[in-house]
Amino acid sequence: MNSVFVLIIGFIVSFIGYKFYAKRIDTNIIKADAKRATPAKMYMDGVEFMPTSKNILFGYQFKSIAGAAPIIGPIIAIQWGWLPALAWILMGAFFIGWVQDYSSSMMAMRNEGASFGGLSHKLISPRARIILLSFIYFYLLLIAGAFGNVVVSTAIGLKAAPMAWLFLTIAGVFAGQMIYRWKKDIILTTVVTVVIALVGIWVGTQLPSDKVVGADLANSRWVWAIAAFVFCYFAAVLPIWRFALPINYVASYIVFLGLFFGVIGIFILHPNFNLPAYTGFNIRIGPIWPIMFVTIACGAISGWHSIVSSSGTARQLENELDARPVGAGVMFVEMMLALFALIIAGTILPAEYAAAIQKGPGVIFSAGVSRFLGALGLPAELGRAYGSVMMIVLAVTIMQLVIRFMRVATSELLSDVSPIFRNAHVGTFIASVLGITLVLTGWWQYLWVLFGGANQLMASLALMLVSAWLMSEGRSAAWAFYPMIFMFITTIAALIYTSYSLLSKVLSGAVKGEALVGNTLMGLVGFFLVLAALVLATEGFKAFRRYRTIRAEAAAAKA
Amino acid sequence: MGEDDKKKGGFFQAVKEFVYGVAAHDSARFALKSRASMEHLFILITMGDMLGVPILPPYYSLRLLPYVVPQISTWKRRMLREKDLTDALA
Repeated sequence: MNSVFVLIIGFIVSFIGYKFYAKRIDTNIIKADAKRATPAKMYMDGVEFMPTSKNILFGYQFKSIAGAAPIIGPIIAIQWGWLPALAWILMGAFFIGWVQDYSSSMMAMRNEGASFGGLSHKLISPRARIILLSFIYFYLLLIAGAFGNVVVSTAIGLKAAPMAWLFLTIAGVFAGQMIYRWKKDIILTTVVTVVIALVGIWVGTQLPSDKVVGADLANSRWVWAIAAFVFCYFAAVLPIWRFALPINYVASYIVFLGLFFGVIGIFILHPNFNLPAYTGFNIRIGPIWPIMFVTIACGAISGWHSIVSSSGTARQLENELDARPVGAGVMFVEMMLALFALIIAGTILPAEYAAAIQKGPGVIFSAGVSRFLGALGLPAELGRAYGSVMMIVLAVTIMQLVIRFMRVATSELLSDVSPIFRNAHVGTFIASVLGITLVLTGWWQYLWVLFGGANQLMASLALMLVSAWLMSEGRSAAWAFYPMIFMFITTIAALIYTSYSLLSKVLSGAVKGEALVGNTLMGLVGFFLVLAALVLATEGFKAFRRYRTIRAEAAAAKA
Repeated sequence: MGEDDKKKGGFFQAVKEFVYGVAAHDSARFALKSRASMEHLFILITMGDMLGVPILPPYYSLRLLPYVVPQISTWKRRMLREKDLTDALA
């Protein structure tokens, strides 16, 4: 199949999904009303609750949800063949993805901008809130581990990446200094720092890591894992304007430019898919169902989006009618990003893919970016360096946010046990050590599946909350309820399968050393997530029964 | 971004807003959050008795009261609103 044809199918699915399905739900079931005051207007505090233009929120939502996951998922999942991956991306986004993103923001908006903890307490039960929040902690740990692995494998696989990453960090810190300390013009700051970052990519090609620090260190997983977590450590303990935010600011231009010109490159080259359409039901990572459905998370459906939609976007929407373009519209754009990644992976030669996937998804992504930017005249070596820094940036921006958040969570959860956990360095250190352990000891493809499973489980929990909300209001809930059932069964099956595979290797003595630690840790985290999800599901179904009874009684009283 | 600004815009305004949303909106929100947290902490220290925190209002609280009045309703809502871990993420 031709790659342009895939993009056209993506546009058609997006158009139908956004223009007809989402519009029908928005108009007939949710009954979005431009005259209803949103929390942003009712509780405006100029900080969290702030009426904001839908165009700005479109950009904000896109930036918040489009990390490395929509790119890596399809690159790994293409091992089952490009056809099932394509079908899942399109159908997942059409039937489930936008439903979750849109309804999470709508639910929070109609409940005074409450976040998931408050909503689960109100709509399901007090116990649901505690379990949900502890679930989120382990979910974040898996994000740190999975994305950490991407950074490490990219830094090892592409020797130009570390220098480019270093320059990007310097550019970001410099941007913070220029904006916040020297009060320089934002356009000047942007131009100067983006140029520094771009020069860094060129320097990376001239001074690859093996020339600078020697081949041993350049190929050491320890070195790059520690580098990644030291980076996150600074992001977590320094003031956010000093490190994390300005680096993300500069990085967003690098990513945006790469994607923009990359898509143009696809249209110029319009290559055919070279990898097989279907390889088989059972491959090394596991069976197509349920494992492929969690391997591709973002791009089809992702629980992370529901957190952003409820705690971030819902408090800034100035008009209920904006929830569809921001919630559903951005999801379809992310679906297109996943298709871009699928094209990158699918159009390289099978032998090339087989060799590159052993080194990690960053190598494949960089090769694809290099190829499509090459269509616009960029030298291949520079294009590969550009792709590698894009991959690192996409992963590390989420990682630093996660580690910062885990620092806060450690303090919240454990400060009663000992006051030492209130210390920012202690919380960050704990999060970093757990993350490094996962990165260094876990096989990256299993780690990715576990992260995907936790992510999808988060999505099904969000859909459960949405279903409970719709039932409590007496609205039709089928459009959220059935996707929730599908996601719940699929992700529980995926987590049980992966955890069982991991722990059976431990118990049979098939793994030793580092892999023993990694398998045990990942297996236990997987089982904990399953357990938490089952308890939540029990609570959720009790709530559904409660709402049904209330409605039946009300109907009887009316009659 | 107010109503008037929005009306002005055509396609280029929309693109400008989108780029701002991708690149800088998060930074602006964090900066505002940091400032608001500091201000609200200060109000809590000086006017905490309004929320039932056992602080004997000092003389300076009375002197500061006129400056704090415009912020009181927002401050109370922000302090009393239920928060959880996900608030730190977005």
